[in-house]
Amino acid sequence: MTGRRTFEARVLPHLDAAYNLARWLLRDGSAAEDAVQEASLRALRYIDSLRGDDARAWLLGIVRNTCFTVLERQRNGPEQLDFDEAQFDAALEAAGLGAPDPAVLLEQRKLRALLDAAIRALSPPLREVIVLREFEELEYAEIARIVAVPVGTVMSRLSRAREKMRSVLSQSNLGRPI
Amino acid sequence: MSREDDDNLSALIRRHATRHAAPDSLRAGIRTHMALEEARRMPSAPAADEPLQRRGWFSFGWGTASAGFALGMLCMALLTLLAQRVGLGQPIAAELVASHVRALQLGPIAEVLSSDRHTVKPWFQGRLDFAPPVLDLAVDGFALAGGRVEHVRGNAVATLAYAHNRHVIDLFVWPSTEQQTPVRSLQRGFNVVHWADGSMQYWAVSDMDGAELESFVRAWQQRAKAG
Repeated sequence: MTGRRTFEARVLPHLDAAYNLARWLLRDGSAAEDAVQEASLRALRYIDSLRGDDARAWLLGIVRNTCFTVLERQRNGPEQLDFDEAQFDAALEAAGLGAPDPAVLLEQRKLRALLDAAIRALSPPLREVIVLREFEELEYAEIARIVAVPVGTVMSRLSRAREKMRSVLSQSNLGRPI
Repeated sequence: MSREDDDNLSALIRRHATRHAAPDSLRAGIRTHMALEEARRMPSAPAADEPLQRRGWFSFGWGTASAGFALGMLCMALLTLLAQRVGLGQPIAAELVASHVRALQLGPIAEVLSSDRHTVKPWFQGRLDFAPPVLDLAVDGFALAGGRVEHVRGNAVATLAYAHNRHVIDLFVWPSTEQQTPVRSLQRGFNVVHWADGSMQYWAVSDMDGAELESFVRAWQQRAKAG
């Protein structure tokens, strides 16, 4: 009973963050729901291991592991875990952002579409550091713990991800420093 | 790249990229599983063929009991008054959907957590002035998660929670002398199926597919008939 109470009080408030991460990693709503549900059950089962840790980082760690297991299972599919440069461009192109009609779309909506497409096009290891850093505003050290890589790796992945996103933005007229 | 460029990009992403919020169905799914998990972990529930169940009597004196009863009657009268004022014009299905949503969001889905009907049924003793039927539909794919008491228009109503895949079904039960074949309606995206068997009236509420909810109702009616 206390385990459940701890889970409700400390873990459940971070469900939006968990879903956001899963949704970005798996790029599919219902797959993300399944993954977060699975991760939550795991979290509930191992709630004792939470102790005094930050519950959000703890939950996000479980969620990202669940998601990467799903991605590995899909490996024969279109999703790849490696850092393929060509794939980024192909995925962006597939998003159909080649010729947006500036007269029709609002600037903000275009910007959102462009940013979303750029994040989606990143390979999963780059995508996850962007989500953890930009949406969750986690420290490098926390991200390193969640992803289970050295801090230096987090920083280099982050800078590669940002570079790619900036290259997309600079090709459009959007996203100039505001 | 400079620190400033990074900050600009961060600001853009935070302000403009899509932040996905967890859908309600996910919250409901997690709550269902929590309820089921807990039911599973409960200390050995009495076996199905055990003749007598543990009784849910509380050890308090009659003085306390009658005071409580009087207070209960007063609350009931006030609630009835209030419900008549507030609930007028609102279909009962809408109220039940609201109860269902509230239970999913705030809990508890079940005040008695058990997949064993021989634990759930006696729990209602002393909490209701009628004995609701409690059926185990696990074989039909609808696992009993537990029960709770809801108040609908001043009446205490038995509420049974069932889990099916990631959906929760709330079955509200209270006495009625009417006969009514199942009727399905839609309330704010929730399916509601209502029927009555001359002894009780039933309202099944869920976000699951309408046809699936009807199959739950059919399963319930068949088991009820079989006794």
